[in-house]
Amino acid sequence: MAWVFLLVAGCVAIVAARRLFFGYAAPAQPLAALRLGEYAVVQAAANAVYPPGGALEASGEQARVGAYADRYLQALPARTSTLMRLLFFAVEHGTLVFAAPGPGGRRRFSSLATEQQVALLESWRTSRFFPLRLIFTSLRAILTMGYFASPEVLRPLRLAPYAIETPVREADLLFPGIGQSRASIRHTAADVAASRETSATPLDPDGPLHPRFRERT
Amino acid sequence: MTPPAGDVRVFADYQGDFTEEADVVVVGSGPCGAVVAKELACAGARVVLLEEGPPFTPDDFELDGALSMARTMREGGLRATRGYVMPTMQAMALGGGSLVNSAICVRAPESVFARWSEGFALEHTTRAELDPHYDAVSEFLGIAPTPENVQGRRNLLFKQGCDALGISSESIARNVRGCRGSGECFTGCRSRAKQSMDLSYIPAAIRAGARVLTSVQAQEVLHEGDRAKGVVGQVVEPLTGRTSYRFRVNAKIVVLAAGVMATPVLLQKSGNLANRSGQVGENLQFHPGVAIMGIFPERVEPQFGATQGYQSLHYIEEGFKLETLWAPPGVLAVRLPGFGRELKDRLAELPYSAVWDAIASCHRSLGSVRARRRGLDPLLTYRLDPEDVKIMNRALWVLAEIFFAAGAKKILPGVHGMPDEIFSLKEAEVLRDRPLKPTDIVTAGNHVFCTTRMHGDPDRGVVDEDGKCHDLENLYIADTGIFPQCTGVNPMLTGMALAHRTSGRIAEHL
Ligand SMILES: Cc1cc2nc3c(=O)[nH]c(=O)nc-3n(C[C@H](O)[C@H](O)[C@H](O)COP(=O)(O)OP(=O)(O)OC[C@H]3O[C@@H](n4cnc5c(N)ncnc54)[C@H](O)[C@@H]3O)c2cc1C
Ligand code: SF4
Repeated sequence: MAWVFLLVAGCVAIVAARRLFFGYAAPAQPLAALRLGEYAVVQAAANAVYPPGGALEASGEQARVGAYADRYLQALPARTSTLMRLLFFAVEHGTLVFAAPGPGGRRRFSSLATEQQVALLESWRTSRFFPLRLIFTSLRAILTMGYFASPEVLRPLRLAPYAIETPVREADLLFPGIGQSRASIRHTAADVAASRETSATPLDPDGPLHPRFRERT
Repeated sequence: MTPPAGDVRVFADYQGDFTEEADVVVVGSGPCGAVVAKELACAGARVVLLEEGPPFTPDDFELDGALSMARTMREGGLRATRGYVMPTMQAMALGGGSLVNSAICVRAPESVFARWSEGFALEHTTRAELDPHYDAVSEFLGIAPTPENVQGRRNLLFKQGCDALGISSESIARNVRGCRGSGECFTGCRSRAKQSMDLSYIPAAIRAGARVLTSVQAQEVLHEGDRAKGVVGQVVEPLTGRTSYRFRVNAKIVVLAAGVMATPVLLQKSGNLANRSGQVGENLQFHPGVAIMGIFPERVEPQFGATQGYQSLHYIEEGFKLETLWAPPGVLAVRLPGFGRELKDRLAELPYSAVWDAIASCHRSLGSVRARRRGLDPLLTYRLDPEDVKIMNRALWVLAEIFFAAGAKKILPGVHGMPDEIFSLKEAEVLRDRPLKPTDIVTAGNHVFCTTRMHGDPDRGVVDEDGKCHDLENLYIADTGIFPQCTGVNPMLTGMALAHRTSGRIAEHL
């Protein structure tokens, strides 16, 4: 009897391990915080919520939402990032309980066909079951923030940050950048005096963008 | 008394456990703590100012909204209340909330002080008595109305809509010098125009001899009988929050200015200190905010213009204040409804949009702050009273009226159970006529109050009118937690004026 139980438990463990860990492709850039499965679910959901084309050309994948989520997770404190991981887990494996329509609807979210992913997220969005709506809203919030961090999305809308000249203030003689020592402060009182003379004109809409948001040639 | 030369310490400076001696130790470098540190240093006291967050230089600012929040705010900017779930942000940086706020400076109206004086036995807390303190802070920070040339269309459309309806409105007075209208106060002012505390009061405190210790977390107030002796805590690594060396500051006077969420937790973690009244951590109040996005036929270019440049105090006695608003596009876009191409269509309309909000004076809605077993992050509960929801209901309707009067072609109210988009004032009547439930509205509460409230009666409040704890001889509180009720207007300036008054009282005892 015991060996039957062990056999069944072993099979379940293999299936669970396969579902949880295998078959995820590695991204082009190494990940700092996201696990491969989490990256896969973010990328898949980003493309479902932000498909290519339409009023804004870039898709979720083109906007590199996965890489953004990786940075975001890394920046969050431990307790909050655990909640974020739980969210990604719920989306990826929620299909076991709330199957997507069509054949193979119980596969993990990132392995579903795009139409199935879209249909599943749409059903969560309009669900009468509050936790499903909450999962959808939280997921979409992260994807949207990631989508809107992309220069390719912001530039055509003219919402990309501008280059801004930063005057030197007394504080810059007192406080170094985060993680640096005060010996790293290079500004002098002369820089502060010189900055006092810079005029504060409104930003020029035709002025240059912040270097990180400029078009690469 | 000749104060020693001022000093700054950052994370890289700490090499082991240490002890400091001071006349006054101030915990928290937000607007209120910074005023106390500067005023007392100028009065000749040996001041040590402790701040858990690091200083942020312009190179440390993150332009993306969510990533910026993860760096500058507690719990990565995702802190929320339980019960009625509402996000609430508290900064963790040198300068506290002033680093990320919109620099709005408003004096609380006389009617607010009248309610405070009568309801909380605060004879000397009147507008007339506070005006000299408001004046002192305003002069130091150069507070002035936002000039027309940096308003941008988003702010001026609001004025246009108000004018058309006969609603009074005005340019917002702010603590800025030379604003360029970049609309990015939330992620830190790269133009160094905003007079956040790290650029204004704190350098002045250092000039006057204060020692400013950043990246240190006060964990307990030391006390003996009815006297506070100082504070102990640990060094905290910026951004990771990892704790290391221990420190102790012995002081004749302790001032807690750690903010509404942190000060009560510190008291609770110090053996339930200063809590004979049972009011520490109680009475938590907010100004829950609701916002509407309007889409105009022509481009608004909403990223240009002061972050919050125009306001209306017209409805202040009805319990709400109206303002214009801008935040990083990714943060604003999170509110937009929809999915796929439909969502993309809406996002593409952002350049045609303006967002205006209302903050509501919800003094019937109460919550509490409790220490968790581990760490200093609080457990927050909150209940939104149905009577206060009516205020927001009304405010949403007024915002809709202003949008259509200003020429909006549609509005996105972001209210559950309402249409995603409303195309005319007639259609918008649903906002006026359909009573809302608390869970229908998406709110946020970044103005926080009352968890160590001021009350003339020691049985009913934590501090007296000077900010001194009723239960202790030499423990003061100077943050917006001492407000007996929410103000109905943006709180920073009133908090600073009260802190200015408290500094004067402390100086008399030194
Ligand atoms: C996004 C945003 C926008 C806002 N806009 C405006 C506005 O335009 N106008 C306005 O009037 N108000 C605004 N507010 C509110 C305003 O910023 C706050 O009311 C104000 O900062 C409160 O000042 P404070 O000194 O009481 O506390 P805080 O500013 O919260 O400062 C408390 C400080 O104490 C530190 N601290 C906490 N615990 C410890 C500890 N244990 N050890 C050491 N240090 C500790 C914190 O890190 C923090 O720096 C805004 C708030 C936010 C979040
Ligand atoms: S609007 Fe821009 S320039 Fe003006 S104070 Fe805010 S961040 Fe600074």
